[in-house]
Amino acid sequence: MDKQKKYQAVDEVQTVYARVLEIVSHVGFVFLSVGYLVYVMQLLPLSVPIEAIAGNWHLKASEMQQKLQIPAGWSFVSSTAALGKGDVLSYLSILYLAMATVICLVFAITAFYREKNYLYTAIAVLQVVVLLVAASGLVH
Amino acid sequence: MSSATRKIVMSFAATSGAAALFLLPHVVYAVPPHVVAPTMWWVWMLLLFVFSFVLGIFSVLAGVGGGVLFVPIVSSFFPFHLDFIRGAGLLVALSGALSAGAPLMRKGLADLKLGLPMALVGSISSIAGALAGLAMPAQLVQLLLGVAIMGIAVLMMKSRLYGKPDIQEPDALSKMLQISGCYYEESSKSELPWQIHNTPIGLFLFMIIGFIGGMFGMGAGWANVPVFNMLMGVPLKVAVATSGLVLSINGAAAAWVYIFKGAVIPLIAVPAIGGIMLGSKIGALLLTKVNIRSVRMIVITMLVVAGLRSLLKGFGI
Repeated sequence: MDKQKKYQAVDEVQTVYARVLEIVSHVGFVFLSVGYLVYVMQLLPLSVPIEAIAGNWHLKASEMQQKLQIPAGWSFVSSTAALGKGDVLSYLSILYLAMATVICLVFAITAFYREKNYLYTAIAVLQVVVLLVAASGLVH
Repeated sequence: MSSATRKIVMSFAATSGAAALFLLPHVVYAVPPHVVAPTMWWVWMLLLFVFSFVLGIFSVLAGVGGGVLFVPIVSSFFPFHLDFIRGAGLLVALSGALSAGAPLMRKGLADLKLGLPMALVGSISSIAGALAGLAMPAQLVQLLLGVAIMGIAVLMMKSRLYGKPDIQEPDALSKMLQISGCYYEESSKSELPWQIHNTPIGLFLFMIIGFIGGMFGMGAGWANVPVFNMLMGVPLKVAVATSGLVLSINGAAAAWVYIFKGAVIPLIAVPAIGGIMLGSKIGALLLTKVNIRSVRMIVITMLVVAGLRSLLKGFGI
């Protein structure tokens, strides 16, 4: 009874957001762990050797980027050579984690819209636009 | 020796130890980058994981996010460039917020209508902060980081947070934004309604906090919670939980800037995330068994000394 009462205060959108967040974050952490193990155990070939990164991690990001061509942004998408590489897989798991909030917000938008809460539909849409602009690399 | 005296002596000893370690000259422990053997990378990764694990425990016990401790302390001890530490710091903050988010939202503690407007302004400014931070020379960022960390330590010392502030009249903007709520308080077994005030000032401060968080790659729980609670009158539990929601959005926005600048490398970011998250879980288990006030004092001291080190490094000393 108490439990039922406790959740009455939580609206539908919050419940939807929580459900999606739970799934997305669990998948993310499994992806992150598996990707890293594949990377450091070198179960797949690497696009940049780990020793090369370790030998240059004292450099500024831009200098290391110039020297080693490590994956940045979505650069690996345009390179077929990057596919099937262990370091790119681990990097992809980080990109997934950075996209997790967008996935949750997209579901929140539909729930706000179903509730006819147009103000929060607009705020959530704006938020997704901001995150997608950041993820597109337009502002870097 | 009484138990209280023993606790004070132990916390003093731990604090002094931490302070001494931090204030040792740079050359004693910080390995110059050019002598790091690339083949020893796994030793650094193991150390980073263990270090992040310990930070995770302390951050939960002290009630601060892992990101705020991670950046200043790791930049003092590890041979990585500050760019990669800030990139990892943002992901640490983001991951912590994501993993804790779902249960808090189900309980009605993390509130979407309270968090979304703050996150919208905060995420835009955090992108600007990340751009500014990555464009600046590392030495200047170290200097500003030192100032920011000292400010956070003062904020932690001075903050007087309230369990359930009594807000008689909500402001017009919060009414327009439909920000109010009700949560179930386990201790009193009752539903507690809440409303807020000072929303315009709160929005402005979230913009500033977002900028600082993006610039230094830190989480912003240290600032979100006092603004929500002390300024806007949000109950403490709702403030802490909603701060995580705001952090997950602002952190993601700024993280993309670091990702595009090549400042996020999985080799460093993943062990940091894993260590902090495991440590946070252990910290949560220890929460009822340790003297929180002593731990908070140790963390404040660590922040002051880490801030001092950042300032010294910023001045090239």
